[in-house]
Amino acid sequence: MRRPVAATLAVLGYLIMIVPILFVVATAFSAGRTLRFPPEGFSLQWFEAAVTYDPFMESLVSSLYLAIGATALALLLGVPATIAIHRGKIPGRGLVEGLFLSPLIVPELVVGLALYQQLMIGFGLDNLTTLLLGHTALLLPYAVRVTGASLALADPAVEEAARGLGASPVRAFLTVTLPLLRPGIFSAALLGLVTSFNNVPLSLLLQDREFRTLPVTMLDYVQQSYNPRIAAMATIILAATVVIAVIAERTVGFAKIFGGINR
Amino acid sequence: MSRKTALLLLPGLAFLAIGFLVPAVAMLVAPPGAETAAVFTRFGEMLVDPYELRIIGRTVALGLIVTALCVGLGFPIAYLLARSTSRWGGVLLALAIFPLLLSNVVRTFGWLVLLGANGAIGKLLTSTGLADEAPQLLYTPLAIVLGLTQLFLPLAIISCYSAVAQIDPGLDDAARGLGAGRTRTFWTVVVPLALPGIVVAATLVFAGSVTAYTTPYLLGGSGQRMLATQLFSYASVSVGWAAASATALIMTILVFLISGLSSLAGRKGATT
Repeated sequence: MRRPVAATLAVLGYLIMIVPILFVVATAFSAGRTLRFPPEGFSLQWFEAAVTYDPFMESLVSSLYLAIGATALALLLGVPATIAIHRGKIPGRGLVEGLFLSPLIVPELVVGLALYQQLMIGFGLDNLTTLLLGHTALLLPYAVRVTGASLALADPAVEEAARGLGASPVRAFLTVTLPLLRPGIFSAALLGLVTSFNNVPLSLLLQDREFRTLPVTMLDYVQQSYNPRIAAMATIILAATVVIAVIAERTVGFAKIFGGINR
Repeated sequence: MSRKTALLLLPGLAFLAIGFLVPAVAMLVAPPGAETAAVFTRFGEMLVDPYELRIIGRTVALGLIVTALCVGLGFPIAYLLARSTSRWGGVLLALAIFPLLLSNVVRTFGWLVLLGANGAIGKLLTSTGLADEAPQLLYTPLAIVLGLTQLFLPLAIISCYSAVAQIDPGLDDAARGLGAGRTRTFWTVVVPLALPGIVVAATLVFAGSVTAYTTPYLLGGSGQRMLATQLFSYASVSVGWAAASATALIMTILVFLISGLSSLAGRKGATT
């Protein structure tokens, strides 16, 4: 080993990042009744217990609806705004872009409190609408920044050339600009889905008996029961996340989307 | 601004106003059923209340420890990955980024299994005879520090990696060729050049740690309250709007403070 100190610290870092996740998986296959290690025997019973447990499955569906809805809305609002920011002549462009990125700098829990207090209690808005509003605001910065990055790489002269060759503005957009934006939109969509689905702090105060999100339901579950059902649900989420990571790697490049590396 | 540009921009801006900006401001000046000044009065009271100060102090102290750990562990990882020529480098980089995709709840659960009453670490200590009975590990500051370090290490690695990857390896070689040892090259060439990335990493980790909810909730319990868990209890259990808003204000100020300091450091670094 050429750099013993750095290598030791690196191994320690990887252990802290990875070992807890392995322990979740190991306990999910337990045949015992409590979350303990080493697990007592091997069985798939807790996976069955997780997928037949209504609160988990109902909130899973809710979380998926919310993630898809918020991502779609954030892209519908964010992509036109990105085009306006990069291609339109607007005074104070930096300020406008900063405004779209602003939800990133306020703690999510604080945003959640503001929406709960002002929109749900103050205005009497239902929790689904409030969640959708909040998650869309949370995802707008990603939509604007990620699609903006691919728009900045595209040469505006290509669109002008299409117009010069007789294409209408709509046709130039659909046949030239949109294909250029596709990798950006795809990355933003993937990032948005994952961010919304995993969110706790923003969703935490916006729960309701009718519409709950999965991560918050899981947090509540641990307070009441301490058994491997939760580990099995966590392992299912882990497996789904691995699939998404592989899809990301095969299409746009995993490190590029989620690490912002080589952007 | 042309009408078309305005039309592209306005729906997004309107949404942003309703879904974020207006509620955030209104929370400070007009919590339901409380007077306008109530939040600021409560904010002033909190800054002299020993109980609240202990929570603020714990939040800041744990945030600083986690920041030091994440930079201290993350920078060596980023450095080794950026300088690696092995084909395993890409796999290890992916392994470091992957946790960012994974739910914080899933990542934090692992510590319950490791640190809990029937947990692996307690078992290991008692079975090897290092301890007579399993020590209390869960619901301690140590548990929170471990959980937050796990959570934010990938962020630190990525920020440092981008910075180190931009440094020409030729500079290392030049320093070595001029007679500097490996350690001296690292501290006098690599670290100073990567400093902007380290500052970004520290800022992201600190801001994340002082606002994290899942980790102090699962691993800290009610005995180790941090600002986030305290805010939730004000907002949900006891309906103390002014107290909840004031706690939110403290949390936001902390985050703005660290971001301001970091951009100040960045500007200073750019001019010298």
